[in-house]
Amino acid sequence: MSDVTAEPGVETKPGQPAIFFDGLSSRRRQVMLTLGDALDIAELSDMQAGTPVVHWDYDEIRRADSPAGILRLTATSAPPLARLEIRDAAFSADLVARCVRLDEHQTTSRGVAKIVGWSVAAAVSIVCVVLFGVPLAADRLAPLVPKPIERRLGDASEVQVKTIFGRESCSDPAGQAAFAKLVNRLRDAAGLDDDMTAGVLPSSVPNAFALPGGKVFVLNALLDKADSPDEIAGILAHELGHLKHHDNMRGLIYNGGTSFLIGLLFGDVTGSSAVIFASRSLVEASYSREAETNADTFAIDIMHKLGRSPKPAAELMFRITGKEGGSGFTILASHPLTEDRLARMTKEDRPASGPPLLTDKEWQALKGICGSGKI
Amino acid sequence: MNDMQWTPVGPSEAVPPPLPPSRVDFTGNRTEFRKMVTKGAMLELVTFGFYRFWLVTDIRRHLWSNTAIDGDAAEYTGRAKELLVGFLFALAILVPIYLGYFLVGIEFERWQGFASTPLFISFYAFGQFAIFRARRYRLTRTVWRGVRFWMDGSGWAYSFRAMLWGLLVFLTLGLALPWREASLERYKMRHTYFGDLQGGFEGDGWTFFKRGWWLWLLTPIAVIIFPLAPFLYAEFKAREWRWWLNGIRIGGVSLSSDLPHNAFYGLYWKMVGWWLLLSTLFGLYIGGATLLVVKLSGVPAEQVFGPDHAAKSIPMLVMMVIGYFALALAINIIMRVYLQRDLWAKVLETVTVHDIGAAADVRASGELASALGEGFADGLDVAGF
Repeated sequence: MSDVTAEPGVETKPGQPAIFFDGLSSRRRQVMLTLGDALDIAELSDMQAGTPVVHWDYDEIRRADSPAGILRLTATSAPPLARLEIRDAAFSADLVARCVRLDEHQTTSRGVAKIVGWSVAAAVSIVCVVLFGVPLAADRLAPLVPKPIERRLGDASEVQVKTIFGRESCSDPAGQAAFAKLVNRLRDAAGLDDDMTAGVLPSSVPNAFALPGGKVFVLNALLDKADSPDEIAGILAHELGHLKHHDNMRGLIYNGGTSFLIGLLFGDVTGSSAVIFASRSLVEASYSREAETNADTFAIDIMHKLGRSPKPAAELMFRITGKEGGSGFTILASHPLTEDRLARMTKEDRPASGPPLLTDKEWQALKGICGSGKI
Repeated sequence: MNDMQWTPVGPSEAVPPPLPPSRVDFTGNRTEFRKMVTKGAMLELVTFGFYRFWLVTDIRRHLWSNTAIDGDAAEYTGRAKELLVGFLFALAILVPIYLGYFLVGIEFERWQGFASTPLFISFYAFGQFAIFRARRYRLTRTVWRGVRFWMDGSGWAYSFRAMLWGLLVFLTLGLALPWREASLERYKMRHTYFGDLQGGFEGDGWTFFKRGWWLWLLTPIAVIIFPLAPFLYAEFKAREWRWWLNGIRIGGVSLSSDLPHNAFYGLYWKMVGWWLLLSTLFGLYIGGATLLVVKLSGVPAEQVFGPDHAAKSIPMLVMMVIGYFALALAINIIMRVYLQRDLWAKVLETVTVHDIGAAADVRASGELASALGEGFADGLDVAGF
């Protein structure tokens, strides 16, 4: 209790001089300390005039931060910022010995162990969520995302894609008719809604991709490199597999979730962005490889359903990428290695049992969909 | 990183003027500080960074309590748990904002490709708000002679000013920077109090400009001739500090500093030296680790980094990760020792406090502020003082 009581003549012998701040003003008070049943703090100027004394019980005294050589104390019953400063080492030691709960509020090594324990628990839980929870959530949530939202996302990415390639889709009428025929046959076999759209974009990069909301784009250079309709069909079937499996939405939810959680996990240990990037690439690549493998499975099924072999598509990919093993970390690759995909599709190779997907004439028209000029 | 280098300022004893101006002393033990940050950096690694709240608090407690103005040491009363709670609250607020940002971004992109880029600006505004609020938190945990500092004013008003000035600085290619700093500092200091004494800032942009305009001219050269950059930056920081300290007022109390223009040369070059040394060591370590893996596994060197042996590259990966963590740890330690502790000590030894008598008996007032601002600053990765 820091109650100020007037007890005339209680302490007559001189005590230990110290400095006292009462926590209510910044006035530096010279005080005398006396160790009795409690710690008595008496202001020097008041000693002559009747000695008002502040009592601090020993078990309510706490240590406050101070520079070396000074003992700085406060009391739980006093104003929170009241401070008593003692510079005499012997008296300090004597006083410290009496205050049993002096350091009760400080972080002990047990406290540190607790922090470490909880952090490790939090980290383990985050890692588990990244490895098991987020993929599960992505798989379950992606099909539930309403079509309009998916379509909006698709529209946004389409605008970006068109900004990058800078041009509209290729529009040679005969080529478009052939392309539409090919896409429709695949779409029907895949059992997709007819609200999906597909187009050919002029580009010198041989590639094809699916966007959310049922959009598939083939880049013209892929058509240039292809030798038969089956090669393109297999690749389109693979992209339709992505649409069927909602891989864009799944990827979005998954990547968003993992980046957030991994960012949370590493907080801001200096230079953590590299760690975050590396671990993200690692987990996301494995997730993406799985999605690609599933899309391949889907493509194989479709091609079989149409009575065509899935092998030509893999051959086309192999012609474009070459043998991939031997460059870069495989665990960081987003797609399965082309040679592995080729091996798989070769195993699934069956003699054609269905009619060709396009006639020779249609195939030539498709190859010329972007006009005859090379890009 | 120098998010805590403002000087606790205060009045001194009631004595009749004219009295010699009083000094600010820093008595912190360097070895003790180094041990503290080393232990802290290791715990930070073990706890995936969560220990940062405790380490930052310990660093501030050390710096504050070893800083004595007119013979009386200051004290930092903030605690790590407050920072942790502030961070969690900030997270809870930031996550929906990030999500909203993402959705609004999609709408913008649908309208025109890459149209959402300007939305980044809103995060800048939020960062400025966080800087203001974080300063308020630190200030209300700063105690001298049993009286705390505190702040009023609005974080959003500050953020608005910072945005407008930021735009002006951008348009003038940086020339308006001194006026931006003067204006923002005036806002911050006018809303700063020690007990019932109100603060103020008397530095003006023109003075700062006159001291540093030639640095602005030299910047393009420093970009080309790299070794000049640390010199230029050290010059700039020293001039900025000195100008800032000379402008600070609390009630009738004023500060002055004679920080020499070359005060930070040593600090920055030591940092550069450590960087080079540590990068070299890291390079040697990676080289050695590769050799070891090659020797032990019999896989040719080009395949260690190659994909055919994903399993065999795992020891390599593990060694790289360990090396990386060691590097991060070491850099963490030297940054804190040089850029926080040494810089703090170097600046403080040049500071003089004038007109002490004006604040002999200051009445305590002001409320504690929450650590939410610190949480935002942490979540948005911004720092300021």
